[in-house]
Amino acid sequence: MKSRSGSLYSLPLTTWISLFFLVPMLIVFVYSFLARETGGGVRWEFDLSAYAEIFRQTASGSFIYLDIVGYTLIMAVSATLLTILIALPCAYYIARSKNNTLLLFLVIIPFWVNFMIRIYAWVAILGQSGILNESLLAMGVLKEPIQFLFNDYAVLVVLVYTNLPFAILPLFTTIEKFDFGLLEAARDLGASHNRSLWSVLLPNIRGGLVTAVLFTFIPIFGTFAVPDVMGNSNVFMLGQLITSKLKFTGDYPMACSLSVLILLLSAAGLVVYTVYNNRQEQQHQVVIAEDEL
Amino acid sequence: MKGSEVRVENADKKFGDFHALKNVSLTIGKGEFFSLLGPSGCGKTTLLRIIAGFEDPSSGSVFLDTTDVLPLAPNERHVNTVFQNYALFPHLTIFENIAFPLRLKKLLKADIQEKVTHYLQLVHLVGHENKKPNQLSGGQKQRVAIARALINEPSVLLLDEPLSALDAKLRHQLLVDLDLIHDKIGITFIYVTHDQSEALSVSDRIAVMNEGRVLQIGTPFEIYEAPADTFVAKFIGETNVMDGVITAHVDNRYTIDTDSLGPIMVTSDRYFEVGHRVRHAIRPEKIDITKEKPLGLPEDFNIFHGKVSETVYSGFQSQFYVETDESPQFKVYQQHESYLERGPAIRWTDEVYLNWDADDGYIVELI
Amino acid sequence: MTKLTLSRSIFWTTIAFLFLPLVVLMIFSFNDGRTMVWKGFSWRWYESLFTNQPRLWMAVSNTLIVAFTASTVATVIGTLGAIAINWYRFKAKTYVRAMSFLPLILPEIIIGVSLLIFFRMLGLELNLFTIILAHISFTIPFVLLMVMARLGEFDYSIIEAARDLGANENQTLTKVILPISVPGILAGFITAFTLSLEDFVVTFFVTGSGSDTLPIFIYNQIKRKLPPEINAFSVVLVGVTVLILFLARRSIKYFVQRS
Repeated sequence: MKSRSGSLYSLPLTTWISLFFLVPMLIVFVYSFLARETGGGVRWEFDLSAYAEIFRQTASGSFIYLDIVGYTLIMAVSATLLTILIALPCAYYIARSKNNTLLLFLVIIPFWVNFMIRIYAWVAILGQSGILNESLLAMGVLKEPIQFLFNDYAVLVVLVYTNLPFAILPLFTTIEKFDFGLLEAARDLGASHNRSLWSVLLPNIRGGLVTAVLFTFIPIFGTFAVPDVMGNSNVFMLGQLITSKLKFTGDYPMACSLSVLILLLSAAGLVVYTVYNNRQEQQHQVVIAEDEL
Repeated sequence: MKGSEVRVENADKKFGDFHALKNVSLTIGKGEFFSLLGPSGCGKTTLLRIIAGFEDPSSGSVFLDTTDVLPLAPNERHVNTVFQNYALFPHLTIFENIAFPLRLKKLLKADIQEKVTHYLQLVHLVGHENKKPNQLSGGQKQRVAIARALINEPSVLLLDEPLSALDAKLRHQLLVDLDLIHDKIGITFIYVTHDQSEALSVSDRIAVMNEGRVLQIGTPFEIYEAPADTFVAKFIGETNVMDGVITAHVDNRYTIDTDSLGPIMVTSDRYFEVGHRVRHAIRPEKIDITKEKPLGLPEDFNIFHGKVSETVYSGFQSQFYVETDESPQFKVYQQHESYLERGPAIRWTDEVYLNWDADDGYIVELI
Repeated sequence: MTKLTLSRSIFWTTIAFLFLPLVVLMIFSFNDGRTMVWKGFSWRWYESLFTNQPRLWMAVSNTLIVAFTASTVATVIGTLGAIAINWYRFKAKTYVRAMSFLPLILPEIIIGVSLLIFFRMLGLELNLFTIILAHISFTIPFVLLMVMARLGEFDYSIIEAARDLGANENQTLTKVILPISVPGILAGFITAFTLSLEDFVVTFFVTGSGSDTLPIFIYNQIKRKLPPEINAFSVVLVGVTVLILFLARRSIKYFVQRS
């Protein structure tokens, strides 16, 4: 059946994403290979210094930019790990309870409050004149307020805080599909409660786990707002570096080269995700085919 | 006769490397109940969709009476389809589903009401018109689909395995209803199925298809008693097949020296020469099975001795698998026409005699 | 008999953790003082919120304008695109499919950077318009997801049936496809709207002076001193959201019962 409706209906979409997504990405890519114009912008000549700069070593031997990338990696891995460690038992509990919807609701409600306001709330709690300090002072535990903000831990706490639902939801969806009868079978065969969870549940929710990890790690890797507010200049992650280069220093090529770095990471994540899913599909098909023989 | 003649000429269709239809030609008469019968993948659904307009053939043409329909879109042909999974619009009531084609034509409210009611009565669904599809059973949904397809008064109705999603008892009932509707309305029905008993029971003619080709077109009777090749012989009903060389013939009676059983006799309307290698078939219900050797049978009866290796009792009949002395296994059916006091007389491991009339055998084809 | 004690305690602790900041905000919205020291119950910040914070409300109105406009446009583009991808063949289908879902996996900062550079290159002034363009861009994939999920529940034969029964392309779209897509379209719109309200990073890059949305406004203030009216505002915001959901629940129930 010939139908030109397909092209017609998809036209707005194709135009929009090509114009506002593909083209800007290409520009970023191209800019990363251009030379920097003093005062902001680019000079149209091929220049690899935006990439070379990333590996720059100062006289004292420190890799200023690589350090930031490495630090961002460590923070992102820690935050993701913490988030998943907390999200897993939560998702498990929700999946096994009779009121899934209600419990999910509880998880989601805090997120109706605006993102920025939530971050501000943590400032109100951890700040020098925040409630934590005021309470400790009032109780006599402290003589002077401590700065709980502006360090790695404050940033980690809020990173976990803002990413929890994005980990809990996909994990819940996967665990919900899991047949809990398998756990009973494992117990029946002699496994302890913990052993059955480890050897039976976890391997079977691998797919959802991979999704949750990817969709938590990659956004955290490129995060800007949380470290900026909670960490100020004491915590400096890749997102802040890129923002600084673009908005304050006007170093477009380098902002772009660093963005390309994040792009590559995301692409790698996407590849992992697709390959993993395809492999699951293939294995499933093999099993079905063998059955039919 | 109402309804159109459908003429397919040299229809060929490839999906990439898969050759779905190989140069198919056939003509379906006005008002016929015509079935396309074959296993999955034989091309019957592809052919149907080409007639409906959902696919274009790679080459060939399709005519409705004298009109070439290929350049016409599905909504321009006087052909309507009943889909396998009903394809009812979930957001509309039964009434609105059936009225859908009329609303497109912007008929008057009163006319729509009258016509829809008429077709609701035809399919025995009066009283259900305000329900939504998800409130109906499978059989009811299919009847809505039929009413909806007929309300446009097409000259050809296409049915794509309409009963395959229903359970056995329902299938039978709906099939009878379809036959009645066809008699009542009189248009051409083209019915696609893989179930040969369905095709045999309601069709005026059947086209048996396999691997993109039409193997035989004929009445149900012709297809059953005179299959054109081995595939048709085996696909329709059950049969016992054996190959051999023609060693003699007197008038229309042939003697075949079969590879497995030795000489057997068979009559045929077709002409074969001594020395031809042929395939012979005899249907299980035409073989008589007895415990004692039959005496006094005419000389053109085939008689063989064997042992029952398996029995299957199904109430009104028993099926016997008999291993003859020469080895091939025969399938034999025996109807239980009188009361069985202690079960079927012939049991597992019994020694038996099989016999059949040469007229009841059939030479399928040269091989 | 599995004991859920460990996961249960982790869950409720997490819930407490999630609600803690909001409870703090809520309590101190009634505080009769400017700091986090409790000085007594008072409505003063609520009064002040509605009388003394023009810039805050300006930001709120900007946020709403952006959210409504962006979600509407994104829903239209996304719905048509989802219908095309799900049920039709067209050139560039693989490309569109892949490209459209890419933003889902990219950190927002990349989207922000690329759009800022793009707008600067085009010489566009950064204001509400550019923000709206940006918001449409990153919400489209979510609309696609929602509508495609809904469409996936139906078989293509419904479209063939419509055509078979006499509908042309336009009638097929308006009388069959769109009506059954409605739940997906609504979900897509709501998702886009919510994401637009929340957004900080992308907006941060493509905003100009005077076009602050709510998140930007708060961000700018956090660095200095946030007015205590913010606490009251958060409570009002949550209250409004709960109210809308409560009203919506009754209409959702109503629709469910009717079908």
